[in-house]
Amino acid sequence: MRRLVLSTPPDDRGYMSTMAIALSDAELVQRCRAGDLDAWNELVERFSRYVYAICTQGFRLPQSDAEDVFQEVFTRVYTRLDTLRDESALRPWIGQLTRRLCMDTIAASGRMQPAAHIEPEGRERTLDEVEEAFAVREALAELSEPCQEMLDRFFARDESYRTISSELDLPSGTIASRISRCLRQLRQQLEGKK
Amino acid sequence: MHGDEYLDLKLGDFLERLGAGTPAPGSGSASALTVAFAAGVVVMVARRSEDSWEDAAGIAAQALALQAKVAPLALADARVWEEALDALDAVRNERSTSNGDLEHKLDLSTTVPLQIAESAADTASLAALAAELGDGTYRSDAAAAAVLAAAGASAAAHLIAVNLTVKEGDRRLVRARANAEQAADAAARALDSAR
Repeated sequence: MRRLVLSTPPDDRGYMSTMAIALSDAELVQRCRAGDLDAWNELVERFSRYVYAICTQGFRLPQSDAEDVFQEVFTRVYTRLDTLRDESALRPWIGQLTRRLCMDTIAASGRMQPAAHIEPEGRERTLDEVEEAFAVREALAELSEPCQEMLDRFFARDESYRTISSELDLPSGTIASRISRCLRQLRQQLEGKK
Repeated sequence: MHGDEYLDLKLGDFLERLGAGTPAPGSGSASALTVAFAAGVVVMVARRSEDSWEDAAGIAAQALALQAKVAPLALADARVWEEALDALDAVRNERSTSNGDLEHKLDLSTTVPLQIAESAADTASLAALAAELGDGTYRSDAAAAAVLAAAGASAAAHLIAVNLTVKEGDRRLVRARANAEQAADAAARALDSAR
């Protein structure tokens, strides 16, 4: 029953921008390499929560350290993007970079961070959950807008069937089945990515 | 679920605390857990029905989400209720003359039962679907889950009705009763389906 909560601003519904939906990671890398400033902004937007989640949930870095790692990760992505061989492997590459910088920060600080008390196994489990949460988020972005909204309202905003039914002007008896159908589509998206 | 004083207890220990004679945990907490149990039964039925019911996995996921939402309300209800009782006690013993504080605490103590009633109505709806479309062997379990959820909704609505800050026609009471009614209808449908 444990839920992984991604650190998102409360007013952010987590939907991806038009460019994020339209471009694959590989296409985004190509545009960044070509010097497209909008693509750079999109890259930061697409991966900022991911990087931040690794820092704060995986390694439990305090806010100030997490912000430093965050800055450093995107600086390195900017300066080293040309070294990325497989353009579709952007996310694992950023993930690995973030993990390494988090470890460096903990080692350099010499402090007993709370993370030091977490067994490596527990940390790996949390990092796996972060990965899974972001994979779900990406798959969610590929569903239809009504499905995204339906799943967001029930699972993220904890709205009741009655509220969803009244807000979306749908018969209340059909909400659970609609959510199930959207979940089926989400599963298909996730399985298609494997 | 981590760090929840009630949910981390063994079931027997929780039951002992329920009967310990302290004001909390009380009926609000018991209502929350009854609904959580009902959601758990729906998960079981849906998972046992995956071969024959296309929506089963999605219904299980929704029931799990409802369980995760309602189970922590057992502790939340105990806390707001204890705070309301403390404020009432302070006014009675003239340790505090602030009726405003008491009213605020009593007002807060309706929030949690209302959330319980909403989750109960949704759980009962899922249970009714499971009783209608789930695997035949487990439809009676789904019907039982709907009845449990309806009981939780009805109990939560009652706790709101007897709150000192709530008058007849209060929107919280209206909402809670609508949820209880919805849950009762779902339970009746579920019992019909499982016959």
